[in-house]
Amino acid sequence: MATTLRKPPVADPATAGGSRPRTGARRYWHLYAAISPFYLLFLCFGLIPVGFSLYVSLHRWDGLGSMEWAGLSQYQYLLGDSDFWTAVGNTIVIWALATFPMIFLAMVTAVMLNSAVRLKNLYRFAYFLPNVTSVVAIAIIFGSVFSTNFGLVNALLQAVGLDQVAWLNTPWGIKIAVATLMTWQWTGYNAIIFLAGLQTIPGELYEAARMDGAGPVQTFFRITLPMMRPVLLFVLVVSTVTGLQSFSEPQVLLQTTSNDSTFAGGPGHAGQTMVLYFFQQTFDNNDFGYGAAVAWGVFLVVVLFSIINWRLVQRRGED
Amino acid sequence: MRLSRRGLLRAGLAGTAATTLGGLATGCAVPTGSTGRNMVLWYWDGGLGDTVVKKAKARYGDSVDLQAIKIGGYYRSKLMTTMTGRSHIPDIAGLKGEDMASYLPNADQFVDLRTLGAERYRSRYLAWKWDQGIADDGSMVGFPIDCGPVAHYYQYGVFRKAGLPYDPDDVSAELNTWEKFFTAGERLKKRIPGTYLLSDVNMVFENVVQQGDRRYVDKDRHFIGDEQHVRDAWALAVEAKRRGIVSDLVAGTPDQLSAVQDGKLPSQLNASWATNDIKSGVPRTKGRWRVAQMPVRPSNNGGSFLAVTKACREPERAFQIITWLLDAANQAQGFVDAGLFPSTPASYTLGALREPDPFFGGQITMDVFGPAAQRVEVAYNSPFDVALGQPLKDEIKNVGVLGKDPRKAWNDAMRKCRRIATHLGVSH
Repeated sequence: MATTLRKPPVADPATAGGSRPRTGARRYWHLYAAISPFYLLFLCFGLIPVGFSLYVSLHRWDGLGSMEWAGLSQYQYLLGDSDFWTAVGNTIVIWALATFPMIFLAMVTAVMLNSAVRLKNLYRFAYFLPNVTSVVAIAIIFGSVFSTNFGLVNALLQAVGLDQVAWLNTPWGIKIAVATLMTWQWTGYNAIIFLAGLQTIPGELYEAARMDGAGPVQTFFRITLPMMRPVLLFVLVVSTVTGLQSFSEPQVLLQTTSNDSTFAGGPGHAGQTMVLYFFQQTFDNNDFGYGAAVAWGVFLVVVLFSIINWRLVQRRGED
Repeated sequence: MRLSRRGLLRAGLAGTAATTLGGLATGCAVPTGSTGRNMVLWYWDGGLGDTVVKKAKARYGDSVDLQAIKIGGYYRSKLMTTMTGRSHIPDIAGLKGEDMASYLPNADQFVDLRTLGAERYRSRYLAWKWDQGIADDGSMVGFPIDCGPVAHYYQYGVFRKAGLPYDPDDVSAELNTWEKFFTAGERLKKRIPGTYLLSDVNMVFENVVQQGDRRYVDKDRHFIGDEQHVRDAWALAVEAKRRGIVSDLVAGTPDQLSAVQDGKLPSQLNASWATNDIKSGVPRTKGRWRVAQMPVRPSNNGGSFLAVTKACREPERAFQIITWLLDAANQAQGFVDAGLFPSTPASYTLGALREPDPFFGGQITMDVFGPAAQRVEVAYNSPFDVALGQPLKDEIKNVGVLGKDPRKAWNDAMRKCRRIATHLGVSH
């Protein structure tokens, strides 16, 4: 990161001999102007709202009336709010339950796609399809799949002689259902990314391995997996960012038709993720100040995970 | 044509500058409310009868262009954002009943309808509904659209088979206390195994709380969710669970719908608008349903309002349109169009509302809902009710669904409520 900052925008040697040295901003203003749509839009719809949310988090506000200065009390309350920490725990558990099986399945799928002889493109298209399907539609289908008496999952369990599980009524059932939905949605997408990675591995490596008498399993663990590490890390980082912000999946899967809050995340808040909790505080309770503080709490958790990810990437760079 | 790099850059720059300047220019000129002859009305799908809105456009077309806009998605947050942003605020805004608590403390953003002569119309509307549109400072924010009297929907054949009262009048008369209701539930389960009177414990808890004239926070910003009326509701919900008359189905899942269809869940305590949900959710149960009064006394669930915002340039005209849209004849039309239950008792005797309903075996459901609507008692609607009711609803659900110890659940709910109350500046 430091390398990108090291070069100060000094005058180009070619023009340095001129009468007046032009600074970077002057020399490159038209370039900046050309890319200005991005940063103007980012300023409007990114930076200003971010700054405003920080401002709101220092106030008490019902979203309509006047704001009342609250100092850091919203953050103080956040630290001791057991519901927030439950939501953090739920998010991480659901993320882990979704991501690790997803990466495994995506890798297996990619290896199989890579060796598929016929209908390659059809398979790729089919595996990508879940990712472009509306989450709401998927969640409604999964609600049926995981329903207690008529669900597909319980029908399978009973077919092999096991008991029914009330998936959407037990804390672990809820987490597994949400995680399964996310796994199903993202496996194909990541398989395509893995496939791209697989195709960059030179064939000579496999040939050499075969000549040395390596079997397919050994080849996979000794060649494919190490060569795929950067792609694996990329997938992990992207999954972390999306997984920590999961919202629609539990919201649609666990909403009920009764008067209940749609952001509660099922019995015992078992499926209430951080972002759902943020919505509940802001839009159910009209507590915009605290909602903004929760949003910053979410931000800090994501930053923490990003640092962990970054460290993993860095270590790779030092090898 | 050859495009040089310099040319491209210039074009890009000019475009950006034009966009920015244009944005700035319009930014300075964004009107607070509507413009020209427009009279903008915001509502949501099913919030007003379509026929009535269409007629209003024609009727007032000489003086204003009534722009009735259906706002999709999360209605309240969109209205609040627009009002806070102070641009393009609608002249007339629909306000949902469950959101009223959050609008009323900000009554200064709306025109006080009393100043436009609302008092003249008061006697034509349900008194409790009228009062729900009035803020603490006495100013009138919302003009009544519809209401949602809660009644007891049940399946005639199942009740009959279980040896329970099955005629609507008998059900109203004989299941008129929670004790008798629960006893009926036990008999139902005994006679037809696998059949439950209640789908979940929250149905009991929330209906009992809604029946009362007090909820979780009172007018003096004091937490009353630990008092007898809530303890009673809690105890009844726990008792329903203990007596085994509550199913373990989740509302809205295919499991629940199929249980309703098979008569395993033959009863619901639900608002008048649930009629449409039942008709569309389990169409095959046509003819099997009847409606009776719920135990103890009717409660209300839902129902909305129309308000005139401060940005409105012609409040008198807006008020004129509102009172016409919501008079007894048009409310009857709203019931026909969108199932909006009228807040004008004069509508209840009109022919359109007294049609026998084949879905309910030819019953005239107005005979139940009409009297129910007039006997409703409502509680003070505090802006803190949602936040301080949620822990209780969560914990009673934990008792019902997860089998949590009721005593522990109550203590956990109280601990959370006290914490939230302190945070929100509600005394306890």
